[in-house]
Amino acid sequence: MTEAATTQAPPRLGRLGLQQSHFKWLLVVPLIIFFVIFFVIPVGLIFATSFNPPAIGQVSVTAEFTLENYLRFFSRSNYLMAAGRSVLLGVVVAAVTLVVAYPMAFVIANTEHPGRNTALLILVLAAMQLDMVIRLYGMMVILGDNGLINQMLMGLGLIGPEDPVQLMYNFLGVVLGLVQFSLPFMILTLMGVIRGIDPSLEEAARSLGASRRRAFFRVTLPMSMPGILSGSLLVFALSISSYIVPALMGGFRVGVLPIHIFQQVAEGARFQFGATIAAILFLLSAGAVAIYLKVGTRRSGGLT
Amino acid sequence: MERRISLPMLILAIAGFAYMLFPIFVVVLAGLTAGEFLTFPPEGLSLRWIAAFLQSEKYLSAFFFSFRLALMTMVVATVLGTAAALFLSRTRMVGRNAMRAFFLSPVVLPGVVIGYSLFAFFIATNMGISRTIWGLWIGHILYSTPYVIGTVGAALAAYDVSLEEAARSLGASPWRAFRKVTLPNIGQGIQAGSIFAFIVSFGQFEVSLFLSAPNSEPLPIAMYNSLRYKFDPSAAAAGIFAITLVTASVLLTNRLVNIRRLLERQQD
Amino acid sequence: MTRTRQTPTRRTLLKGGAALGAATILPTPFINHAWAQDVSYDGGVFDAEGATLNVGEWGGGWEEFVRQALTDDFEKDFNCTVNWDSSFPWFPKFVTQGAQNPVFDICNWNLPNLTQTKQAGDFFLTVEEIRENVPNADNCWDFAFASGAGVTWAYMPYVYAYRTDTEGGPVDNFRAFWEPRFSNKRGAYGTENGLMHAFFMATAKEFGEDQYDMQAAFQALEDAMPMKISEFTFNMLSLIERGEVDIAVHIEGEALSLKRKGVPMDVWLWDSRPILTQTKTISRYSDPVQKKLAFALLNRTLSPEFLNAFGDEFLWRPTNSEAKITDQLAEEGVENTADAVEAFWVPDWDFFVENKLEITDRLNQIFGL
Repeated sequence: MTEAATTQAPPRLGRLGLQQSHFKWLLVVPLIIFFVIFFVIPVGLIFATSFNPPAIGQVSVTAEFTLENYLRFFSRSNYLMAAGRSVLLGVVVAAVTLVVAYPMAFVIANTEHPGRNTALLILVLAAMQLDMVIRLYGMMVILGDNGLINQMLMGLGLIGPEDPVQLMYNFLGVVLGLVQFSLPFMILTLMGVIRGIDPSLEEAARSLGASRRRAFFRVTLPMSMPGILSGSLLVFALSISSYIVPALMGGFRVGVLPIHIFQQVAEGARFQFGATIAAILFLLSAGAVAIYLKVGTRRSGGLT
Repeated sequence: MERRISLPMLILAIAGFAYMLFPIFVVVLAGLTAGEFLTFPPEGLSLRWIAAFLQSEKYLSAFFFSFRLALMTMVVATVLGTAAALFLSRTRMVGRNAMRAFFLSPVVLPGVVIGYSLFAFFIATNMGISRTIWGLWIGHILYSTPYVIGTVGAALAAYDVSLEEAARSLGASPWRAFRKVTLPNIGQGIQAGSIFAFIVSFGQFEVSLFLSAPNSEPLPIAMYNSLRYKFDPSAAAAGIFAITLVTASVLLTNRLVNIRRLLERQQD
Repeated sequence: MTRTRQTPTRRTLLKGGAALGAATILPTPFINHAWAQDVSYDGGVFDAEGATLNVGEWGGGWEEFVRQALTDDFEKDFNCTVNWDSSFPWFPKFVTQGAQNPVFDICNWNLPNLTQTKQAGDFFLTVEEIRENVPNADNCWDFAFASGAGVTWAYMPYVYAYRTDTEGGPVDNFRAFWEPRFSNKRGAYGTENGLMHAFFMATAKEFGEDQYDMQAAFQALEDAMPMKISEFTFNMLSLIERGEVDIAVHIEGEALSLKRKGVPMDVWLWDSRPILTQTKTISRYSDPVQKKLAFALLNRTLSPEFLNAFGDEFLWRPTNSEAKITDQLAEEGVENTADAVEAFWVPDWDFFVENKLEITDRLNQIFGL
């Protein structure tokens, strides 16, 4: 609908609008320059090393071209599985976070009482203040084999003492950890958008006879689409690139690409192969984002 | 006009808050332990680890270094990111989605890749900013700006551009129309974006790993280093301190905003 | 594994640097090398005229203590400034900046990473060169020089930390880790953790012919699955404390600190006696003043005064025969005598680093990464 608004700009503004379109670029040129110098070139150079033969300690690009690293990646099932798992993780975490965060954002956005609203906002911000390593300690206390949940289940006699439910040290644990980490990001993104939706639209739908439920699903939810798209993209990106959460919550048994990258780059024995994995992760994410934007944009009738 | 919150929505929200906050609650309690180690449940409550944190020159200087860096990052990321989001919302250029995805792309790479790439780049080009606060700043801006673009972009998409155009057609200058009409409408988005920029920078570990400068390490690196060698609750104490600070600053900003509103009302 | 390993020489590194940086790395000339040999140090105090010494060492509470117990006075006595950097890992930093342009003049290491760096170029002074200029090194036990590129100043024996409130009695042999009672209750580390590397070598020694028997170690580790894999020793302590893990690969001092807290647990020193070490290197291409300062700082690091204070704080054992074992360890029967330290050995990290790629690959397979 914003698309339509732009195309139907009053003709009177036409001449000015043209000048403005040149002026408009000033908004984005600084960031483009910044990104080219400090992102495209440095990361491009690192990616270029993925076409060099592996050599321990060799850090810079050389003229020798090879596909050896890529062949190695694609000929090993554990790397392929890790690639699939990474994308799956990003998708699952984004979806779960969205479902959990939406009601929270909705409630905050519609709490008019200023004191209560501030309190809720403080809770969301407080959730972001703990260092990851220490926060995962908190997760372990709750979700571990001897954690509070398992103790409760054992106390109720639902499971045997030697038979805890595996809530962490597996894929589920990684998802639970990443959702906890991503919630505030999703909430804050959704909140602004939901607050911007005019409640009278929903009222109108209801006065035309729609049930409250129907009004929500037909009016409010579709109108939150920009926030949903944006928030889930951020969470997807956060999840697919996270190292520490899969490492600790997955107990080093859930192979995702960042763990393999860390193995190769941080200890630095093999920059070329580390760069290869990073490049593949990058392409996979870019592909996933592109598909998502395409589908999502069509659904919401234009993202911008 | 207030929208009523339905009961199922409220229940789901409460469950969500419980899930988000319970681990935080556990760590905060564990950090208030009177014992020597991080345990849950804590061995009696005391403020000794908070006091130890506040007395530690190392942690405090790391805390304030991170704070300063996060502020510097927030300012630049908010300005650059908001401007870029405005451009993206106003252009009908082919490939604007590609550009949006491009600006988001630093976040899909693990921080260690960004950090290492920049480190190698600074050294190769002899820019003189490797392992200085400036190099670190660049890395943090790179990693924080996508969050601003994301949130401001979402706010802009939900906002009806025709409002600003209406203001323009009534004779307002572009700047005035933007300031008086658009800005208040996307203010929430900008606020959320700048909070993200701050927090992403403040908690950043992986990007800083290769870029941090001697004698001034960011807090997450100091924490990690410390946890490697000593199993004590000061990391939890740092978190409690940060939570207190955030609470205070939110309350303070709210108070300030209220006062400003009050003054504006009196002027009218 | 059919990959041929290429150890880059200084020349390939420089060539690579030139390709990337359009020759901007080259200007640091080779001239340094000529003066570098000339520096000597005799253990006395001298005036460095405000020079800056670049130090790479752990941060956080560790830094806070070492500054107060060592470098604050050092700065005053020698009229210099210590530039402290604690953002590990060092290896990629050294390699990226190149040997001619050392990141740090003096650097503290875990041996696997030190060995990796040593093999990648001419970065460090040899043990002989250091010993000539660091008088306190003369009092150190032999294993302090095992790395060939620096001096080890503190160490901890590897142990199993195990809970005593489980059935099956105390742990008294290396193979106890594999007992069925510890299934899914065994704690080990990720592929990049030095403790895992040492555990691997000790396992090879126990189950195979010697520490070089990789196949035996792979088999044994496969048999030990399911294990709980952690990344840091601190995190492992909380796993033990919470009963998520009943037996874990650990190091003496840290594990004992958990026992002193009252957790029902104990430690068992591996009978093959490998050790985890803290080792300081001095960079070959540092400028003369910095190099002389580095000798002086290493000499003070090896002094009994500092080692005693350090041991009291962190429960590490000193490598200097003149230094004392801290009371907390002494109560457990630890001594610093020739007999007591005789059995200690440092795994052959050169071998490990040369085979690291294969080891990482196989461990990934075993863990299911």
